Amino acid sequence: MLRGVRGRLTLTIIGLVALTSLVLGVAAYAYVATSLRDQQVEAARDLTNFNVSVLAAERVPPGTARDDRRWKSLVDAFTLRGVTGTVVDFGDGDPFASGLDATSDFRQLSPSLRSIAEGGSIGYERLTVDGRSLLVTAARRAPDEPTFYFFFDASEVEGAIQRLGQALAVGGLVLVLVAAVVARALARRLLDPVRSAGNAAERMATGDLSARLDVESGDEFGRWAASFNRMAASLEATVAELRAAEARERRFVADVSHELRTPLTALVNEASMLKEHLDDVPPGGRRVGELLVADIARLRALVDDLMEVSRFDAAAEQLQPTEFDLETFVRAVVRAHAPDAGVAIGPHAGQVVADRRRLERVIGNLLDNARVHGEGAPIEVAVDLTGDVRGKGELLVAVLDRGPGVPPDELPLVFERFHKADPSRHLGGSGLGLAIAREHSRLLGGELTAAPRTGGGMRFELRVPVTRSLPMGDGTVTGDEQAGAALEPNTETAT
Amino acid sequence: MAARILLVEDDPSIREITTLGLTAAGYEISTAPDGRAGLALFRAEPPDAVVLDVMLPVLDGLSVARAIRAESSVPIVMLTARTDTFDVVAGLEAGADDYVRKPFELPELLARLRAALRRTSDASPAVLRLGPLEIDEGGHSVRRDGREVTLSHTEFRLLAELARRPGQVLTRDLLLDRVWGYDYLGDSRLVDVAIQRLRSKVEVDPANPQLILTVRGAGYKASRPDPGS
Repeated sequence: MLRGVRGRLTLTIIGLVALTSLVLGVAAYAYVATSLRDQQVEAARDLTNFNVSVLAAERVPPGTARDDRRWKSLVDAFTLRGVTGTVVDFGDGDPFASGLDATSDFRQLSPSLRSIAEGGSIGYERLTVDGRSLLVTAARRAPDEPTFYFFFDASEVEGAIQRLGQALAVGGLVLVLVAAVVARALARRLLDPVRSAGNAAERMATGDLSARLDVESGDEFGRWAASFNRMAASLEATVAELRAAEARERRFVADVSHELRTPLTALVNEASMLKEHLDDVPPGGRRVGELLVADIARLRALVDDLMEVSRFDAAAEQLQPTEFDLETFVRAVVRAHAPDAGVAIGPHAGQVVADRRRLERVIGNLLDNARVHGEGAPIEVAVDLTGDVRGKGELLVAVLDRGPGVPPDELPLVFERFHKADPSRHLGGSGLGLAIAREHSRLLGGELTAAPRTGGGMRFELRVPVTRSLPMGDGTVTGDEQAGAALEPNTETAT
Repeated sequence: MAARILLVEDDPSIREITTLGLTAAGYEISTAPDGRAGLALFRAEPPDAVVLDVMLPVLDGLSVARAIRAESSVPIVMLTARTDTFDVVAGLEAGADDYVRKPFELPELLARLRAALRRTSDASPAVLRLGPLEIDEGGHSVRRDGREVTLSHTEFRLLAELARRPGQVLTRDLLLDRVWGYDYLGDSRLVDVAIQRLRSKVEVDPANPQLILTVRGAGYKASRPDPGS
C-alpha cells in the first residue's frame, strides 16, 4: 500500500515531521530541565551558605563539643528553613544525622563532594535513592570545623521535568500521526494526476483510444494532462484514419475482385472454347492460344483467391458442419488437386462432422502448394483421427513434399499473403493459397503449421477438432447400398 | 428434340460465349439482356430451363426468379457473383433450384443444367403415397387430397426421393447426388432451402412438419405411414 512514489512521498513527509519534532522536543526538554535544575541548585546553595555562615555561626560557636545540645537545635533550625535532611560530619566517623534515612543516604555520597567542601567551597551532588530524587549540598565554615551536608527533596522538580518529557513525547507522537494522515492525503492529491494518467495510458494500451485526462489545474500537471490529451487525440485520429484507409482498401480489393468476375467469366469461357478449337488455329497462333488459355486459368485462380481473402476480411464467413466419411472425402480432394499423391489413411478414420468445404479448401490448397513447389517429387498425405470413437476428436492431416523447402527464418512467413518462397521463380499460384488455408484452419478452430521435413522438403500439418460419429446404421442411406448396423468406425461405405 | 434454354445475362460477352458453348452442347438458346426482357421472353417462348444472372438491370434476378416460380415449375439455375450466404440463400429462396458461381466454366454450367433437366432418376415411374400426398412420378404431378399441388422440378424430385423410402434417413449428400447431380462437395444449403420450400407447399403447418422430417446431424426422412392405416 505504501509502495511506489506515493508511499515514498508519504514516508518522507512523516520522517521529516518526526525528525523535526524530535529535535525540537529534545532541545526544549534539555533547556527547560537544565534551567529548572540550575535554579534549584542556586536556591540550595544560597540556603546552604546562609545556614553555614549565618545560622551555624550564630548558634554554635567554634569549638563547641559534638555532644552539645546546640547542634540539635541548629539542625532543627535547618529543617524549619526547608532542608529535608542534615548530616553534620565531625570527621570522627560518627556523623550526626537528622531527617529521613539521612545516615544511609550520606554513605552514598561521592568523596569528591567531601573534598570540595573541605576545600572551603559549597559542593552539590544529585542522588537518587529508592526512586527519590535528592539534591545534596556540602559546606563547612572553617578547616577544623565539621562539614554540613544538606539534603533537599528534588522529586518535585524532577517530576516536573519528567512530565515535561512525557508531554513532549506524546505531543511528538501525535504530531507524527497527524503528519502521517496529512502526508497520505497530500501524496494522494499530489499524485492523483499521475494515477489517472496511468489509468488512461492503460486504457489506451488496451485499445481504448478515447481515454482522456481531466485538466483541472494550470500547474505542471495540468499542462501535462493537456499535452497527454493532445497526444491521445492525434493518436486516435491517426488510428481512425488508418482503419478507414484499411477498410477502404479492403473494400476496394473486394470491389475489384467482384468487378473482375464478369469479364473474367467471359474470358474463362472464351478460353475454354478456344482450347477446344486450338487444333483449328494455324500453327503460328496456336502457341499464343495455349499461353492465353493457361494465363486465363491463372487469372481466374488469383481472382478466386482474392475474393476468398476479401470475404475473410469482411468476416462474412460462417461454419457449415456436415457429416461425411473422412477417407472418401480425402481421396476425392486428392483426386482433384494432386492425383499422384500417396495417401495414408490412419486406422481410426471414419465418419466425422465438420465443415467439409473449408477442410477441402485447406487440404486442397496444401496439395496445390506441394504440387507447385514439389518439383515433381512425390507428395504424401497422411490422415488420421484421434480421440474417442464417438464424440470429440482431432483430425490430423499432414501434407509432405520433397521440394526445396523453406529457410528457417522464412518459415513464419509462408502463411503471409503474397509471400513468395523465391521471388525469382515463377511457379504459378496466386500467393494466397497458404494464407487462405490458414484462415480456414483458424475458422475451423484448428491449427496449421509448417515445418521442414527430415530429408528435405516441407511438412504442413493441420490439426482440427471434429466430432466423430459412427456410420448411420438404422435406416440411413449413405449411398446406393444401405450401410447396415455397422459397429466398426472404420467401415467403408460405398458412395 | 433439343432442350430450350433461356439465358438472362446483362454482360454481352458472357451472353455470347455462353450461347456459343450451350449451342455447341446441343441446346437451343434464347437470350435477354435484362430482367424485364427475360421475363417477357420467358412468357412468350416458355423454355425448358432458365439460366439467370442475379445482378440484372431493370428487374433484378431475384425478382425474375420469383415471378417465374409463381407461374412455372421450370428449373432455374442462378449465376451468382458471390457465394456469400445471403446471395445464395436469397436466390434459392426466390425459387432458384441451383446456382453457379462466377467466374464459372462452361462444363460447370452444363453439369448443372443437365442435372436440372433430368426428369426423374427412377427407371420405373410409380405412384407414391406420403400421407395425404399422391405423387405420380410418370405424370410428374402431386395431389394433396385430390387437389393438384404445384412443385418445381427440383421440389418434385426431392419429394419423390424421400417418399420412395419412407422412414429412412437420407443424408444431404445423398440428396445432392440424387436430385442435383453433385457427386462431390455439393452445397448443403441447396437441400435445406429446397426442403423449406417443399414443406411450405405440402405441409399443413410448415413450422411443424409431419411429412418431411429433419433428422438432426444426419439429413431428412419422409414419415412412415401410420401403422394403423
